[in-house]
Amino acid sequence: MPTITIDGEQYQVDDDQNLLSACLAQGINLPYFCWHPAMGSVGACRQCAVVEYRDAEDQRGRLVMGCMTPVRDGGIYSVNAENAREFRGGIIEDLMTNHPHDCPVCEEGGECHLQDMTEMTGHTNRRYRGSKRTHRNQYLGPFINHEMNRCIACYRCTRFYRDYAGGDDLQPLGRNNQVYFGRQRDGMLENGFSGNLVEVCPTGVFTDKTFSEHFVRKWDLQSAPSICEHCAVGCNTAPGAREAGNGQDALLRRVVNLYNRDINGYFLCDRGRFGYDYVNSDARIKKVLAARGDEMIGSTAGAGDRVHGEVHPREGVQKFAEILAAVQRGQRRLIGIGSTRSSLENNFALRQLVGGGNFYSGLSARDLELLHLVDRVQRDDRIHSPSTPDIENADAILILGEDLDNTAPRISLAVRQAARNRQKQQAKKLKIPLWQDASVRQLRGEHSPVFFAGTEISGLADVANATLFDAPGQIALFADAIAQLIQGSDAAAMDLAADRRELAMRTADTLLAAKNPLIISGCSSRYGDLIRGAGKVATAIANRTATNCALYLACPEVNSLGLAQFFSPGRGHLEQLTQELHGKERDPLTLVVLENDLYRRADPQTVERILSCADEVILLDSLLNSTVKRADLIFPAAATAESQGSYINSNGQTQRFYAVYEGGGYIQESWRWLADAASFCEQITADLSVIAAWQHSMDLSEAVAAEFPTFEALEKVGPDEDYRIDGLKVARQGHRYSGRTAVRAKAEVAEFPPHLDPDAPMAFSMEGIQSPGATPLSANIWSPGWNSNQSIFKFQQGIGGARKGAKGPFKIRRQSQSIPDWTISAAEPEQDEEQLITLPIYRMFGSDELSASAAAIASVIEVPFALINRADAERLGVQPSQLWRLHTDGNSYSLRMHVSDTQPPGTLGVPCGLPGLEAVSSQLPGRAQLKPLPATETGETP
Amino acid sequence: MSSIFEPEVVEVMEHSKSGPNRIETRLSSKEKEEIDREFSHYEDKASVGLEALRIVQKHRGWVSDESLQAVSAYLNIPIAQLESVATYFQLIFRQPVGKEVIFLCKSASCWIMGCNRLQKKIEEKLQIKPGETTEDGIFTLLETPCLGDCDRAPVMMIGEEMHRNLTDSSIDEIIENKTLYHAEGSGHADQSAD
Ligand code: SF4
Ligand code: SF4
Ligand code: FES
Ligand code: FES
Repeated sequence: MPTITIDGEQYQVDDDQNLLSACLAQGINLPYFCWHPAMGSVGACRQCAVVEYRDAEDQRGRLVMGCMTPVRDGGIYSVNAENAREFRGGIIEDLMTNHPHDCPVCEEGGECHLQDMTEMTGHTNRRYRGSKRTHRNQYLGPFINHEMNRCIACYRCTRFYRDYAGGDDLQPLGRNNQVYFGRQRDGMLENGFSGNLVEVCPTGVFTDKTFSEHFVRKWDLQSAPSICEHCAVGCNTAPGAREAGNGQDALLRRVVNLYNRDINGYFLCDRGRFGYDYVNSDARIKKVLAARGDEMIGSTAGAGDRVHGEVHPREGVQKFAEILAAVQRGQRRLIGIGSTRSSLENNFALRQLVGGGNFYSGLSARDLELLHLVDRVQRDDRIHSPSTPDIENADAILILGEDLDNTAPRISLAVRQAARNRQKQQAKKLKIPLWQDASVRQLRGEHSPVFFAGTEISGLADVANATLFDAPGQIALFADAIAQLIQGSDAAAMDLAADRRELAMRTADTLLAAKNPLIISGCSSRYGDLIRGAGKVATAIANRTATNCALYLACPEVNSLGLAQFFSPGRGHLEQLTQELHGKERDPLTLVVLENDLYRRADPQTVERILSCADEVILLDSLLNSTVKRADLIFPAAATAESQGSYINSNGQTQRFYAVYEGGGYIQESWRWLADAASFCEQITADLSVIAAWQHSMDLSEAVAAEFPTFEALEKVGPDEDYRIDGLKVARQGHRYSGRTAVRAKAEVAEFPPHLDPDAPMAFSMEGIQSPGATPLSANIWSPGWNSNQSIFKFQQGIGGARKGAKGPFKIRRQSQSIPDWTISAAEPEQDEEQLITLPIYRMFGSDELSASAAAIASVIEVPFALINRADAERLGVQPSQLWRLHTDGNSYSLRMHVSDTQPPGTLGVPCGLPGLEAVSSQLPGRAQLKPLPATETGETP
Repeated sequence: MSSIFEPEVVEVMEHSKSGPNRIETRLSSKEKEEIDREFSHYEDKASVGLEALRIVQKHRGWVSDESLQAVSAYLNIPIAQLESVATYFQLIFRQPVGKEVIFLCKSASCWIMGCNRLQKKIEEKLQIKPGETTEDGIFTLLETPCLGDCDRAPVMMIGEEMHRNLTDSSIDEIIENKTLYHAEGSGHADQSAD
């Protein structure tokens, strides 16, 4: 550990770093722009100047850029020297010659790194009186605003977008005083991580356009630590909410990254950043709705569809309670369907209400089996589920069937960094520090090996060294071959085509030779043998190398792995439920559906069969969906940002999210509706009284942990509701939160008492602990002089380290169990001329249920389409962009055809979950027939 | 480029002024041949971008959006990356220019030796400002930093030829010669026509 002297003080600092990050780590405020903790230094902005002295004798020293200067043991530096201060002030003054004086109307204002640095350098007086250069702004799509006049040419945007995230449509254009950061022409930024520009750009050039729709200053937002609910990666977020101010319900106004070293680091994907707006959508359920008995004249509702009217919550809960009472009397049966997108607490509450034997997952047998397979494989001690930094460290990667950019986006970004490891190794050999970003990136040579085998690869195509496109069955066989090769089988004896055998051998050799090999697969191909194959490859490597092998298995939804833990393999799926219901004559039946749109889980006929058996359907959910139409009683469920609970991510990590704000209308957590119903029962049984007694979210967390030792970590992931720091709760609002009384002055001038939070040791007000350094419960990342999110370094254990005070990661506890020696055999039926095999593909925008209702995302979702192989297209006479009709058992869909060179022959790629295609999704992979649209229909352009 | 990048000195010109402008969206076989020849000098296709732009400009006089697209497709380089190169180099024209492009040096030595006065003279004589092209489509005036010929300042470059120790009268002479050269019926080939 080198010792350095800065302004007369001695510091012990970490090796191999630059002076700027050393200063920041020591809490010394040294201004900077172009350096980024995840992207290193390029020395572009000249803002971080310090004086370096030759030795103790040297009185003058020389100016150096902190970010470009490696720390030297015994080095003597000054941050405060007059000439260094003057230089830094001068840089700001220069930048300001072109920067507009528009802070009051700039959306960056109040969390602007340029404002902060300007303050910090003390440059308060502008001498420049000339005109400023101006630019025209571009339309960059529905997510991001562009205001180029504010640019200070630090190059962070293109370094992130192009170098870090692999985007190719944002570039520095022009030069000198005219340099411009934009696209070749107006249009949506194509990269799925574009939203990070909002945080990466230190000025107001790139700002969040969805936030603009309901903008307030950062200091006026209330926030709490949350978890992105749009895939199973489990990125940490800091959503911000505020009263509407016009008497309407409070709005969730935006989502920004919340640093978690092990998962998302500094970056989110665009689905996660812009998906939040679904909670504000018109489709939001905010009231208790009940089906109306009377016939509606002229109603457009289809057969079996209900027409709903609002009822008072008391009435709704009363009805629910009557049902519970009938159940207690043995006159009614109660069946509950849980959800992979709801918290452990909600699912557990429903399970307790209906009883374990009557609780179902709401997943098809196939989908639930996939989750159990993931679970089974992860239980093997030879396998470990890698964190994001682990993934970034991998030096050889095999991806099996997972189009990461669309199924686990943040993981794709990590894989992209891993692809640079060979380059980084070379840099180390040449003694180039890794933070010397431009020099390291200039090193030529191959990427670290990334092999992809699957149906479709989107963003990572440019870093993949080898790709194999085929149907999942074939990919599973390929994986099996690799596993066998690693175990030392004879390649010649394998029943594989020559090129495939060659690729399998190359992959096996590369993985074995790697120091940190990584296998990635998951549920998205919906093919069990693929997960088995991935498990076999990973364990084969582990056997050979005698260390455990990293295997990332991506699950579909935020709590998929959590829900699966409630069921033993083979139990709890919809097929079993159908069987159960169609048995002998039984008592009247009430079905309680928790945050689940069954029409996304199974084909319409199956769902119909289930729903028609129920005399009553009670639904708790946040958005109107197809299942709503069939429900008799609907309770408005809180969205993630409005509630507290826990999710288990793909890695088996337990994470807690906290309510950012109170949902409008009668919204509350689903478990609270259940508890309310229980407490309304007149004659309350022991079981019900336990449920009725739940007061805090933590009561449930503890109950889950007590009943399921798997979830024992639930008691540790966060503090109880009665935890205090110096006798205080943690404030969700910042010091400068404004308009506490004025915000509701339209209705009432009196100051309202803040909402009470029964669940967390946090206040929905300004009162309490404000410092993000005191507790990770504080999501308002801010430090004196550092108003932007850049201030996060103040709360890390060393630059890029874990958040101060963060505990964990808390993995779920599972009995270790070696995976069996699965046999993987070719199971795919013969292709026939008439039918095509439909394979699931995914889209960042559209495949996820909730984010598809966020206005900005909805505006860019593709119309229903399918990918067809070029040869098949020619054979069938399919023209690009033509509408064709896909016929599955009893259903049909119009699809716009996209001709693809990589779609495996004989197959059709059908986007899972895309609005309009929800119903077909559950049947993928499957078989279907493609027919030309009848002439009468082809005119339509959806 | 849809005019997002608009250098101070280059103003948008009307296409009609620079004569008939057939926009070719595909590379000619001649252009391709010349570009292919460059491959041997570079490690990868992407590095040929700048040369390819020069070649296209040689044949077409300037690089239109369509030309940029054609090069991007041919070299398989993202169009934004190519635009970044095109807008960085001053000698790549992203807007139509006249047949003779005058680069007048505006750096220190030439400034001491009176380039501002000469610039005024050129502007008056041709009735254009920097960045503009004459009505007849012959001259475009651009300013440039030091051309490396300070000992013979003031200087300007027209096309690829240097004109040194400029005076009012030498400017008159050069411009008149060029005008004559391009006068109608002179039989000289239009360089953008091949
Ligand atoms: S747009 Fe922002 S990030 Fe990009 S160079 Fe300008 S100031 Fe830096
Ligand atoms: S990767 Fe997944 S969890 Fe992370 S921000 Fe994107 S959608 Fe959310
Ligand atoms: S941060 Fe050091 S030069 Fe920009
Ligand atoms: S200043 Fe004009 S040639 Fe150098």
